[in-house]
Amino acid sequence: MRFHNVSKHYDEYIVFDRFNLDVESKSILAVVGPSGGGKTTLLKLASGLIEPTSGTITKEEEKVSFLFQEPRLLPHVNVWANVEVTLRGFYEQKERTEIALHYLELAELKDSLHLYPHELSGGMRQRVAIARAFAHPAQLMLLDEPFQSLDIRLRMRLIQAFLTLWEEEQRTTIFVTHDPKEAMLIGDRVLCLGNPTAPLLDEAIKIPRTARDVHDPACMALEAKLFGLLMDA
Amino acid sequence: MNRTKRNLILLLSSLGLLILWQLVALRVNIPILMPTLGPIFSALGTIAEGPTFAANLHVTILRALQSFLIIVLCGTVFGLLAGRYQIIALILKPFVTTLKATPVMSVILLAFIWFSSGSVPLFSAFLMGFPMMYLQIEQGVGQLDPHLGEMCDLYDIPPKTKLFYYTIPSLTPWFVAGCRATLSMIWKVVIAAEVLTVPRYGVGSRLQLAQVHLQTDVVLSWTLIAIALTALGDLFFEALIYAAVNIRLFIQRRRVDALS
Repeated sequence: MRFHNVSKHYDEYIVFDRFNLDVESKSILAVVGPSGGGKTTLLKLASGLIEPTSGTITKEEEKVSFLFQEPRLLPHVNVWANVEVTLRGFYEQKERTEIALHYLELAELKDSLHLYPHELSGGMRQRVAIARAFAHPAQLMLLDEPFQSLDIRLRMRLIQAFLTLWEEEQRTTIFVTHDPKEAMLIGDRVLCLGNPTAPLLDEAIKIPRTARDVHDPACMALEAKLFGLLMDA
Repeated sequence: MNRTKRNLILLLSSLGLLILWQLVALRVNIPILMPTLGPIFSALGTIAEGPTFAANLHVTILRALQSFLIIVLCGTVFGLLAGRYQIIALILKPFVTTLKATPVMSVILLAFIWFSSGSVPLFSAFLMGFPMMYLQIEQGVGQLDPHLGEMCDLYDIPPKTKLFYYTIPSLTPWFVAGCRATLSMIWKVVIAAEVLTVPRYGVGSRLQLAQVHLQTDVVLSWTLIAIALTALGDLFFEALIYAAVNIRLFIQRRRVDALS
């Protein structure tokens, strides 16, 4: 996916000005930045929900799946149907059933298929949303702070669940977060927004994902760097 | 509180009401003003055995049902359009606001000038019930969660699936609330219109004739019949909703059970 000289203005407010970005296929780009720095606009531009004021966005991946800050589950249907309905435009019934079951099993929800969203805990609801995002045949995944409203233990469990599914089937992913620690644990590369023309930081994380640890000096150094940038932005 | 206890209290409370009526009627001791329970239930038996009882009941039920269906259809269609397109809501606003503020009796009297007596209950019930249904649906459309709509669009959920899995279930509580409010009001308006216009058949016509002949016990008997009609209508509607919800849950449950 490539952003070429992309500008996005909201009346007088300039979010991006001739901004360039390449997102490598089947990698996770973690995006951090201050509020109003353009994180959500970047996701909306990538999804096609909004058009740039000028410039071009080219992407190989046509279909997009989204993981939102809140789970956004259909309240009147059960867990299984919440995943299955998003596949209706793409697969026949037999295939839909197999795919939905596969990802719900991976998300450890096999015993909760008949439950309705109001019967689930916050973490379970977000796991359904994760399963739904992976079950969808999209090659581009856009994540808008999906773990933000959860407590730290649940957050770590869900990040683990997300990464397990991602390793199973790697997809081009843009992951927006407020938290430098999350960005460092999940991303192959970290981008720090805050300047309309170019990122404040654009750095590949060389440490293998499985070896990353919040106490590792290299990880701590990167986190401190991101923290400093966010404080100054 | 368990169900048996609740029903017992309701039964005792109803019996208390009847006993109170009987005591006051005995104290007043003027049957034309306040008959005791004996003559009322006796008149009820006579009415039920009468040759026109079924016809009177049938015509009133038919009028109420026709009005209800027309209101539900029109209120839903216009409510959906108004919720979706602001211009339609604005065009309909003066009409709906006027209807909401107009006294029922004015509507019935005007309708009696314009239409034949048989059509007045239908027309009056429509004018009184339409705003209730319309406003509920319009509000329901306004309350649809835009986040869920955005999710459906981003995930390319087909329009038909979106309609049956998101839009209709989200609007159902508003639809049911509109139907309930309309249903409980419709009987009152239909019978009031029958009282004023005295068509050949109808519960309201019988009430009016009994009142003219100062048959207070017959007036009260027909009133009891009107109350029973309203209660049975509500009960039937609640049973329909209960069945619809359970069928839906059953179908979803069966689909999941079929997976294992």
